[in-house]
Amino acid sequence: MSCTRIRTLLTGYLDGELEADDGSVVRGHLRECAACRQAATDESALRDGLRQLPPVDPPPSLWAGVQAQLAAAEVADAKRPAWRRALARWAPVAPRFATGGLVAAAAVAVVWWRTQRTVDDAQVPAPEVAITAPSPEVEPKVVPPPSSPAGDVTAELAGEAARTTDTYADAAEELLALATEARVQWTTEQKDAFDARVAELRGLIDRAPEGRSRQRAWGKLIKYLQGAVVRDDIALAGGGL
Amino acid sequence: MKAAFALVVVGLAGVAAAQPKPKTGLVERSRLEVAPGGRPIKQLTIENPLGDIKVEGYDGQSILIETTKTAPDEEALDRLRVSLIPNPDGTVRILTAADGGKEIKPLSRGAVKIDLVIRAPRDARIDAAVSAGSLTVVNMDAGGDLDTGSGPISVRNVAGAVSTSAVSGTTSLTQVFGSVEAQSLASDVELDTIGGERLVASANKGKIAGRRVRARDVELTTTDGKISLEAESSLRGRMVVASLRGDIDVKLRRHGVVIVRARGAKLSLGSSMASAKARSDGWVEGQLGGFKPSTQAAIIELRSRYGMVQFAVIE
Repeated sequence: MSCTRIRTLLTGYLDGELEADDGSVVRGHLRECAACRQAATDESALRDGLRQLPPVDPPPSLWAGVQAQLAAAEVADAKRPAWRRALARWAPVAPRFATGGLVAAAAVAVVWWRTQRTVDDAQVPAPEVAITAPSPEVEPKVVPPPSSPAGDVTAELAGEAARTTDTYADAAEELLALATEARVQWTTEQKDAFDARVAELRGLIDRAPEGRSRQRAWGKLIKYLQGAVVRDDIALAGGGL
Repeated sequence: MKAAFALVVVGLAGVAAAQPKPKTGLVERSRLEVAPGGRPIKQLTIENPLGDIKVEGYDGQSILIETTKTAPDEEALDRLRVSLIPNPDGTVRILTAADGGKEIKPLSRGAVKIDLVIRAPRDARIDAAVSAGSLTVVNMDAGGDLDTGSGPISVRNVAGAVSTSAVSGTTSLTQVFGSVEAQSLASDVELDTIGGERLVASANKGKIAGRRVRARDVELTTTDGKISLEAESSLRGRMVVASLRGDIDVKLRRHGVVIVRARGAKLSLGSSMASAKARSDGWVEGQLGGFKPSTQAAIIELRSRYGMVQFAVIE
């Protein structure tokens, strides 16, 4: 079953409303697909938070707007010829359903931002809904990127941190080569101090998680090497500015 | 703790309808306001590898987020995700991602985009990262940590400590009043109107250009690129401008006594340094202002192993 199909079944799955077969399929998919698992976790956490909320009274202006649109739809309906009214009864998207859908979509948009979509504000008045939610006290979960076809944006993003780190590593190697040239003028003590510091900074790099932390750690090593190569910080140690 | 920090989230729009655009495919826009229920929002962390980030400070307490997602079709649009994670300690995280999976239709990275425009309380610190998109921070009072891959970083009218890191995106810092640490691997760093205790900027393959710089402790370093600087000296200040292969051109507005030391493949120190003396270690040193060595003197060191060093005083 595809991820798209699974996402449509998630709500029913979390509510325990799926048939046994469907539930088993969803459960099996979630075991293998990190993206859908994350979506299920997000929705589940959101539901837990929402259950603790006090009931929310929508602002009077919202209901007034809904009633006004319903009334306008009824007036328009009354003015239409009989054949059009008959058609409208069978039309898949009746005005009142559209209005109801608008309100429902607004509510969904608030509780799950990713499903929000807007059209030009001038065309559609934006409903206002306020909720008060306790903030979760959990750290955001880092989900490993799910396997995706090569060349896909997800796979590309997953490999980007490593590529950036490689760029830092290449720059550091170039500077290390320059430092090797410079070190012939250093004393043994200065060489030892340099080697110890480089080892320390490499340790920081190794311990840093892939991503911004590791790139910043590489940045520290590069800065130190630039100091040694360009500003003679090592040779001037104790006697510089 | 949990009760002390409640968030009020106000969705300002939410109607299901994507706007088709002829060239870019579908565009989906949304707006969200996040207001602190208890503690004020003190830090905002934003990671958007899929597009631009613009953060603008304002006098309110809420965070206003405008998201624009672009994708070639509905299915691709559904894969683009923006997550908002408020924490009880007054920090808010905004992360973007593209959902993956084994059964998806492959989608090139250039085909999708998420742009974020965020209005944040001025006193919130910004911790932000982009990849190829631009990262812009304006009108903030608590500085930030900003990282980019190949996209440009632009910081304007910001107080507080600012730290930037770029692989190949240009870094432009204008009107920054706080300590600055800017590092670039293969791109230029532009500094304009910097006034803080400390300014440290380095570029490996790029150049550094600074104007109207006034910091007590200045350290500009490049491996290959040129460094040009127009700065004011500070009493007891320290300024080190160094390159391995790049040229150095420093113009100084002097306040008080300044000791200048320079060393380069070629030196041009101007008439104000006519009395400078060459030392046995290859440095040329001279003093501007005052007749005796002064403990108040600012020290300026200019060096390029293979490049030319130019120095002039702006009267």
